[in-house]
Amino acid sequence: MIARLLRRAGISLIVLAGVLLIGFLMLQVIPADPAVAIAGPQGTDDEIEAIRRHLGLDQPILLQFVWYISRVVTGDMGQSVINNASVSAELLRAAGPTIELMCAAMIWAVPTALALGILAALRRGGIVDRLVMAVSVMGVSVPVFWVGLLMIQFAARTRAFPIQGRGGPLWTAEGLSHILLPATALGLILVGPVARMTRTTLSDALHADHVRTARAKGASELRVVLNHALRTALLPIITLVGLQVGTLMGGAVVTETIFSWPGVGRLAVGSIITGDYPMAQGAIIFLASAFILVNITVDVLNELADPRIGSRS
Amino acid sequence: MSLSRTSSLARLAGSVALAAITAAGAAQAEGTVTIGRTSDADRYDPQRSSALAAAEVLYMMGDTLVTLSHDLKTVEPALAESWELSDDGLTYTFHLRKDVTYCDGKAFTAKDVVGSMERWLTPEGPYVSAWKAGTVDSVTAPDDYTVVYKLKSPSSGLLYQMAQFNFIIIDPEQAASLGDDFGVKAFNGTGAYCFESWTPNDSLVLKKHEGYAWGTAALGNTGPAKLDEVVWKIIPEEATLVASLQAGEIDGTYALPAWAFAQFEADPGFKLIQPVASFRTHYVGMKVTRPFMQDIKVREAVSHAIDQGAIADAIFFGTVKPAEAYYSEDALDFDPSTDLAPFAYDPDKTKALLEEEGFTMGSDGFWQKDGEKLALTYYGFNTSREQAEAIQGDLRKAGIDLNVELYDSTAIWAKLREQTYDLYQMDYPYLNAGDALNLYFSSDSIPSPNRMMWDDAETDKLLAEGNSAVNDEARAKAFMALGKHLHESILWKPLLLEKPTVAIGPRLKEFQPAGISGAAFGTGLNLELN
Repeated sequence: MIARLLRRAGISLIVLAGVLLIGFLMLQVIPADPAVAIAGPQGTDDEIEAIRRHLGLDQPILLQFVWYISRVVTGDMGQSVINNASVSAELLRAAGPTIELMCAAMIWAVPTALALGILAALRRGGIVDRLVMAVSVMGVSVPVFWVGLLMIQFAARTRAFPIQGRGGPLWTAEGLSHILLPATALGLILVGPVARMTRTTLSDALHADHVRTARAKGASELRVVLNHALRTALLPIITLVGLQVGTLMGGAVVTETIFSWPGVGRLAVGSIITGDYPMAQGAIIFLASAFILVNITVDVLNELADPRIGSRS
Repeated sequence: MSLSRTSSLARLAGSVALAAITAAGAAQAEGTVTIGRTSDADRYDPQRSSALAAAEVLYMMGDTLVTLSHDLKTVEPALAESWELSDDGLTYTFHLRKDVTYCDGKAFTAKDVVGSMERWLTPEGPYVSAWKAGTVDSVTAPDDYTVVYKLKSPSSGLLYQMAQFNFIIIDPEQAASLGDDFGVKAFNGTGAYCFESWTPNDSLVLKKHEGYAWGTAALGNTGPAKLDEVVWKIIPEEATLVASLQAGEIDGTYALPAWAFAQFEADPGFKLIQPVASFRTHYVGMKVTRPFMQDIKVREAVSHAIDQGAIADAIFFGTVKPAEAYYSEDALDFDPSTDLAPFAYDPDKTKALLEEEGFTMGSDGFWQKDGEKLALTYYGFNTSREQAEAIQGDLRKAGIDLNVELYDSTAIWAKLREQTYDLYQMDYPYLNAGDALNLYFSSDSIPSPNRMMWDDAETDKLLAEGNSAVNDEARAKAFMALGKHLHESILWKPLLLEKPTVAIGPRLKEFQPAGISGAAFGTGLNLELN
């Protein structure tokens, strides 16, 4: 297992290098020029040149990239070209709120989706099943920004929940009330796919031989569903949740913008718009690493849940 | 089991929601006012940022030597209590107030003014907008409370420019020691509020400057500030900003989208207020070197074809005024006798003018001359798509084909240097006629920002006369004559006149918004809780 993990880590490094290169090239293609933005509409050519020199943007692109890579390899992500803030410090500051938001979304969404999926599987073909599936399809199809804006309208009218910003750490009342709306909006992305997957795998498992045996031995329905059927059905669900973390990160970019949540997604959007290359690169590397990390974790979890996976390869 | 699980979940959700409701009540602390806006500044350094987002906060954290009255027509004392101008118009002598201190307690002296100017005017430095300072020969401090500002050539607009945020006096020692972190990690100023903390793209917190007593009397409260704390909060999504104001999470904003005006107007808990004077004009510029555009009659025909009133009503919901002059008729040195008839919407005149110039209507519904279709190319910002569409529709209705190309604000400046378009659309802020005229019409500014390629000896002569005038009468005379001349030449089609509108919630008392640089909350001295 250790050897396999090491191999995975090696492959991840190659992926990360690819992300770095593609991210850099894409940022060169977008037309944002930070020097022009800083100088403003009335900026003169001389001023723009002077700013560009000051920021080191007058150097050839290839040279800039080589310098950037050589710094990143030593662990230095550089400074923002816009406000000189340290990229690693800004990322560290923004990472907490994003992780918090994603966890809060998953804490309610995954159990809800599991419950809905189990319910649908037990009542397969019935009205409850159709209703759950309808809701899931809706959850998959409705864009997160639309749900977010609806919730904001609702909150503005009722004044029940804070609309924007982060109130503090999750365990305080202020923090909890602030995270409620964004976490609900973000979690909705997850409910649909997970509920559908739970329903499909569980209803297959409910007809498996070992479940029939368990029933024949007189186990209670509760025990049969949770201990025997769900346990075997769990594997694809874990994989799916892991993959959905990527979608969740994409959703977090939108959710953070709508609810003014000070996370990595907003940092990425803001820095891309202003042409802040080092900051945008940092955010992209962070999001890519997080995605890779989650995937490796999912693999490990899968292996723990089903030892056959490990012995097969 | 699955049923009981969902119901326990529902109970949990219910209790969480209840906790949230009780928490939501205590939104803001007493004495704190939160102002919402959609974008943050790059940095809060008056010499290194050109952003409105920087200007509005810097006006609260620092002071300029002089400032302007609410109508932007009179120069008022600020850090300088008086000043003299030499007869040749080259030497300004400022006498500074002696009771001014920085936020860190340091006394403010003439050395700080000299240090600020020296940093700003460093050749090859990464500083912006230095042209506003005029052709500076030297800035010196003969004693602690006198500053002598010497120019190489007279500049009648200098005192007005000095009210702009780039002239805010910084702490030169702090700027030198912080380097690139100046205006990011800290800012030591003489303003009514002091820099407390900044989290980029999230919030900036200002604390009251205790002992502040040097505000300009003509603008209201001279100090100290009536609030303990001002928080500038970034809310990137417009709809969220509107909802936050409704819900009382923010107390005011100037960044209200046009579609939201009506709902706040109808709500007695909110007020919409505007500065006495604050100028921003949207216009369509015409490149006079292009084949069709060389002909002033064709330029006039284009001008008559565009209905700026409809744009103001339909796209801006009537929150801006249709414009008929290059700059506001309320601006200093606007000549009321200027002939504005060529800028009125009148498609019949378009037809008459084009026929007079020998154009014939083609079978495709467009005018043509010598076998060539009257088709024009238009460059605009992608944020003004609706305006571009309206203009394209108006021109096509009048028989003029328009090829519209829209660009992102970061890409358009390079595109506008090209000679491949006939019309371009943009908007610009200005203080007075002289400011507007100097920006765009001098032959020295070809090809940018004089994108019309307007190369005219009369214009250059009058501009020089106005700039070198040593008294108000001479300056007004030259700029008024120049304004008239340029309006007669039909170089722009004025579209809209925009004033910032501030929306305030029930906690804030109504105040007079400021007009300089579009920074409507001004020094913040007039902000007060109900």
